[in-house]
Amino acid sequence: MKNTKKILIVEDEKPIVEALTIKLTKEGYEPHFATTGEAGLALTKDLHPDLILLDFILPDMDGLSFLKTLRLDKWGKSAQVLILTNLSDGKIADEVAEYGVFDYLIKADWRLDDVVKKVKEKVGRGNK
Amino acid sequence: MLINLMLAYSFKNILDRQLSMLVGGAFLMQGLFLLLTATYFSHTIKAAKKVTEELELAKIKIETEKAKDEALLNSIGDGVVATDNTGAIIFINKVAEEMLSWTGAVIGEKLGEISLLTNANGEHISIEKHPLHLSLETKKQVVTKDYRFVREGKVDLAVYISATPVILKDEVVGAIEVFRDITKEKEIDQAKSEFVSLASHQLRTPLSTVNWYTEMLLAGDAGKMNAEQKKYLREIYDSNNRMIDLVNTLLNVSRIEMGTFKVKPEPIKISEVIESLLSELSVQTSQHKLKVEKKFGKDVPTINADPSLIRIIIQNLLSNAVKYTPDGGKISAEVMRRPHDVMIEIKDSGYGIPKNQQDKIFNKMFRAENVKDKITDGNGLGLYSTKAIVEQSGGKIWFESEENKGTSFFVTIPLTDPKKKIGKKNLSAF
Repeated sequence: MKNTKKILIVEDEKPIVEALTIKLTKEGYEPHFATTGEAGLALTKDLHPDLILLDFILPDMDGLSFLKTLRLDKWGKSAQVLILTNLSDGKIADEVAEYGVFDYLIKADWRLDDVVKKVKEKVGRGNK
Repeated sequence: MLINLMLAYSFKNILDRQLSMLVGGAFLMQGLFLLLTATYFSHTIKAAKKVTEELELAKIKIETEKAKDEALLNSIGDGVVATDNTGAIIFINKVAEEMLSWTGAVIGEKLGEISLLTNANGEHISIEKHPLHLSLETKKQVVTKDYRFVREGKVDLAVYISATPVILKDEVVGAIEVFRDITKEKEIDQAKSEFVSLASHQLRTPLSTVNWYTEMLLAGDAGKMNAEQKKYLREIYDSNNRMIDLVNTLLNVSRIEMGTFKVKPEPIKISEVIESLLSELSVQTSQHKLKVEKKFGKDVPTINADPSLIRIIIQNLLSNAVKYTPDGGKISAEVMRRPHDVMIEIKDSGYGIPKNQQDKIFNKMFRAENVKDKITDGNGLGLYSTKAIVEQSGGKIWFESEENKGTSFFVTIPLTDPKKKIGKKNLSAF
């Protein structure tokens, strides 16, 4: 299990977390989740995930604050982040781009399968 | 001797009489002369007096008008500044002085030099781009809604500015600038915009959950589905996607109406956009046995346009073509170069738009009578949004249609660089 890619899901909607967990596990990844920004940042330090799927609206902070804090950390500086949100705000998309996010996807417009394809694109295949 | 005396005496008398007649005449003449002169002078004096009186009256009238104008200008809630044709201030009303926190005498100063402006991004506006100086130069009215005054070193007042040149016999003799504090309006717009964003986010969250779980069920992730179960699930999935489309459309409509969407031009090839959209629609076109034709002119250049906006426009027209054409029909997409623009034609052989409904087709929420019952999943917002986007991009949109024969929609995109629009939001795909 050493080479299993770890995916951290930072999202407060439980059903979304579960759907992603089911699919990612099926594809051979090791999904973890946090439902608040604080917990997410802590888990990042513990796990050093290969990819962070970040929702933008979290109960304790917004995605931008999460990113800012993440990038201050030595390891967090180069963490791979994919924004998965239902907020479509061009200004935010621009601001977020400054923090090295590799993509910004709107959940409602993307099939679950295609989200997983994006994950594969970024971190490579999971161990099936 | 007596006779001599008598003769002399009578001679004297005659002489005397003559003399006195002469003297009398002279006196008479003098008198007449004096009388005439006096009369003349008194007339002149009277006339002069009349003129003076009239001048006085006119002066009072002008001063009254001036006082009225000043009272009017000072009681207007907006700031008013008038300048000569070099931009030097010749009049400023109280509201302007207060709004700009000017305490010293400003008459004679150049407006652009003492009223400092920044744009929405905090960048300073140079004097030449100052609305008043711009209106003097272009001889046209200049209106801005996104500038802010810098007062006492701080950028702190959002204003609406309207500068109009004063033109007399084709010459610009000065200009008048009117400005108004729009902080409240900007706050309301900001609140509206945030509400719309939040509302669509809240609406999308359960919709994306339904979508993903339906997708998993259909894929058999929770066990094999029989044909009927799959059929029902597909209905749920389709309806759900309709709702998602509707949320996206409403979001776009609201951003179009509030003017808060961005236009970010990039070099793009329209033919590539059409190809990509046609492949997305290939499942539907084969399902409905529609013949698809495409014709891309060889001389159509790469143009500068916002790719996501072009995509929204063509996607709406193509999906309409597919939607409103009965099975076995034909749709086509053509791109051609014209002298000043690129023209896109999306044609179908479908239900068409009845002549008496054609003038309403771009109206918000409008759906033509002949398709309202046949195709129930239209929301009447697609063409409304598309037209707004086309026009914001500097293009034109129109159509030709005959009921039950088909429809052709035409869109032109100008070849010159469209102006970059500094908005705050992106528009969503429909």
